[in-house]
Amino acid sequence: MPKKIDDNAPISAKKFMDELRRYERGSVSRRHFLGVTGLGMATSVMAGAVPMLAGSRGANAGSIGDRVSMATWPNYFDTANFETFKKDTGADVQVSVFGSNEEMLAKLQAGGTGWDVFVPTNYTISTYVELDLIEPLDLSRLPNFVEKHYIKRFIDPGTVNGKVYAVPKNWGTTGFVLNRKKVKSNPTTWKEFWDLSRTSATGRVMVHDYQLTTIGNALKYFGHSFNSVDPKELADAEKLLLDVKPHLFAINSDYQPGMRSGDAWMSIAWTGDGLQLHRDIPEIDYVLGKEGGELWSDFYAIPKGAPHLDAAYAFINFLIDPEINAKEVHAHGYPVPDARTTALLPKEMTQDPIMYPAKDLLDALEFGAAVTLTDPLRAEIMARFKAA
Amino acid sequence: MRLYAAAVYLFLYGPIALIVLFSFNSGRHAASFECCATFWYSRTFNNTFLIEALLNSLLIAGTTAVLATIMGTMASLALQRVKGPLRLIFDALTYIAIIIPGIVIGIATLVALVTAFDILNPWIASLGLGDARSNTLSLGYGSVIAAHTLFTMALVIIIVRARIQGMDRSLIEASADLYATPWATFRQVTFPQIFPAVMAGFLLSFTFSFDDFIIAFFVAGSETTLPIYVFSSIRRGITPETNVIATVVLTVSLTLLIIAQVLTRSRADRGGGKG
Amino acid sequence: MASTGNTGGPNNRVTAMLLLPTTLWFFLLLVMPLVVIAVYSLGERAPAGGYQPALTLAQYGNLLARLKAFTNTLTLAPLGTVLCLLIAYPLAYYLAVKAGRGAKPFLLTLVIIPFWTSFLIRTYAWIYILGGRGIPRLLEMIGIEDVRLIYTPTAVLIGIVYGYLPLMVLPIYVSLEKLDKSLLEAASDLGASPIRTFFQVTLPLSAPGLVTGSLLVFILLMGEYLIPALLGGGKVFFVGNALVDLFLQSRNWPFGSAVAIALVGIMLAAVALYLTLVGRDRDRQNVSVL
Repeated sequence: MPKKIDDNAPISAKKFMDELRRYERGSVSRRHFLGVTGLGMATSVMAGAVPMLAGSRGANAGSIGDRVSMATWPNYFDTANFETFKKDTGADVQVSVFGSNEEMLAKLQAGGTGWDVFVPTNYTISTYVELDLIEPLDLSRLPNFVEKHYIKRFIDPGTVNGKVYAVPKNWGTTGFVLNRKKVKSNPTTWKEFWDLSRTSATGRVMVHDYQLTTIGNALKYFGHSFNSVDPKELADAEKLLLDVKPHLFAINSDYQPGMRSGDAWMSIAWTGDGLQLHRDIPEIDYVLGKEGGELWSDFYAIPKGAPHLDAAYAFINFLIDPEINAKEVHAHGYPVPDARTTALLPKEMTQDPIMYPAKDLLDALEFGAAVTLTDPLRAEIMARFKAA
Repeated sequence: MRLYAAAVYLFLYGPIALIVLFSFNSGRHAASFECCATFWYSRTFNNTFLIEALLNSLLIAGTTAVLATIMGTMASLALQRVKGPLRLIFDALTYIAIIIPGIVIGIATLVALVTAFDILNPWIASLGLGDARSNTLSLGYGSVIAAHTLFTMALVIIIVRARIQGMDRSLIEASADLYATPWATFRQVTFPQIFPAVMAGFLLSFTFSFDDFIIAFFVAGSETTLPIYVFSSIRRGITPETNVIATVVLTVSLTLLIIAQVLTRSRADRGGGKG
Repeated sequence: MASTGNTGGPNNRVTAMLLLPTTLWFFLLLVMPLVVIAVYSLGERAPAGGYQPALTLAQYGNLLARLKAFTNTLTLAPLGTVLCLLIAYPLAYYLAVKAGRGAKPFLLTLVIIPFWTSFLIRTYAWIYILGGRGIPRLLEMIGIEDVRLIYTPTAVLIGIVYGYLPLMVLPIYVSLEKLDKSLLEAASDLGASPIRTFFQVTLPLSAPGLVTGSLLVFILLMGEYLIPALLGGGKVFFVGNALVDLFLQSRNWPFGSAVAIALVGIMLAAVALYLTLVGRDRDRQNVSVL
């Protein structure tokens, strides 16, 4: 998977021909072809079939209903943008936040959520498709999604069996935050992270209440894949986790308060939280384990049976408008795989090593896999770890 | 003894004082305190989500309390005339509704409603009622109110029945002897006597529903109640806004309590500890 | 409509109508859901999570995998109840017997008020108090270093006592209030020591309130989720937390249903046992002071 990150250059002639051939073979849809090659924008503009193009957002006020409901992650949006959306369209934005993909999946599986838009992570999308919980997207209704501007590896998980189900929101990494004033050594690996938590940082370390990242990074201690579902390798990870358990400060995905108060010295963390903590408390640093770990991308998608479909499309299209998207990034600190948005960001952000880690660190990371999330053994190990 | 009481009150009110103090925080995060500003108050009243969650909670708690009080009182009145196995079944169900933990009620209601909706929705759609694409029946206010009403109704039944048992029966008999209609007897004799219990049931139901997190967490669907909002803001790092809401709720209920106290005292009623 | 005494057809119809909504509610929202989870508990987890029909007792066989959650709950819930009781009793006694007439309603209201603030926020306040900048910092000032309170079983117990104290104080207060003070005077007139008076007169007479209070607190604690979730830091695990995880994380509905059924079974058994122990004749009175 590791690959150079700047895939967002204008499409090359060779790639254009590849895509054309794939289109002719029928393995990609016309829409995909038009999107990838950048012809989509031109065609749709000419056809005049653009309901809500950037500058003309207010044109359709009132026609999409009075509300749109979104399920997303904590600290992952700019409420000022929601107010703009309401001003433009008359639709109120209702937000529910969740702690993990498993929880979001559980709610959708239970049904009757009433959500119009949700924010799945890369590895969940194929499961949603399999369970028929996600709506294929009509890209003609998302004119702001112009594929050529996006980094390819962060688009791909949104397409399953040739159909686009989700458009990219943000991407990021899973590393750990540490308080340099408290932790005297300079850990750069997951091995050191776990060893410190049992020794000099005992009682001061937090791990996520999320099996994917906690077990994944425990697997890295042994050099196994972040995504392993091999019972033997998972047994190693379980042994480590059970050994570390009595030394932990907490098992909690809400690690900002603990880090801010100084109770916790280290915690598994995501990019944006690392950035937010570092911005407010400079001695808190964000580190990517040298052995690797997780690289992820989040998407906007529409669940099956969304009650306000028109509003859902309008809202997603609004959020991926580069200017709006840039405001989002200012609020939460997660990078966007869209070159148009990145171009609008200030230098401090685009050169920030937390947001855009060095290439060698990035190359070691892997995407989470679908089975990593749904594997029953991993779920059970996490439960045993928590109950121990 | 007095010292002990003072210590317990300190224990009860210390954290509440802290909440109120932190609502005047001028810092960005609730985790640290910088004195003092009312800045978060104006922010809070402009936060649509928080206000919406508060209104949702008021709506749900209000409806729940009204339903539970009416239905529970009706049942209590009827139950005094029911004997035998039917009575036994009712008593058992009432106690089970109270004993079963909220978390089990939440889970069971969720599972049952979802199963029922899966069967009913296609059927409704095939009848041409409702929208075929989106589901007609889904989780939301209705399911939260229904689940809250179960527990609170049982609570009302128990409170009101205790009052009925302690009621002065001779008045009712006298009323019947004087050929008053049953309705008139109810209105003029029975109801005034059970009114304090009905009121206590109403207040308890409202409080329970307003404060419940765990049931709503499972069955609220896309709706957000105040406790759900608070829970998710704790998750994303609480801001002083949540403290502001708590302070406002506290102030309002305190005012209501004081008014109630003054009213009951001016009626020269003794006590007033319930509720 | 609700008069007593009359008998006959129309009255039965009125009774039936009065009971109809409650019956409907009990059936649709209590009996049905319990039946549904009982059925689900015999099923299997679908590959991607959720439920798939089957007829197996495997989920119940697997209950031992959550033994720790059950033992935690069955240790901390009674312990929390006893702590609540020990702290609440003297206060209730003070309110009912010692407090001046004028101050009493006010002091009683003060016990009720915390109930009106969000339970969640009150619990969250303890995260500051027990966290590194709270009590441990104060202890550091007087030379006691490195005390950790937050995210420990102690923190959970403090949260429990704090959250449920009013529920314990009120029923005990009500039963002590009913206590005839002339009995106490008689006892002391007869030369009984205050301690003897307490154990032979006061305590037995306040038993109904004691039973109600502890029953209430115990029942609520058995299904507790929030306090261990917020103050236990994911390390102190109750059955409630196991249930939330099973439904909202690993999506193992059948196993979750089995755990829920087991919890209900244990609770009904515990309550029945408790009521038998304290004497059957009292239970009506008990719950009535609720």
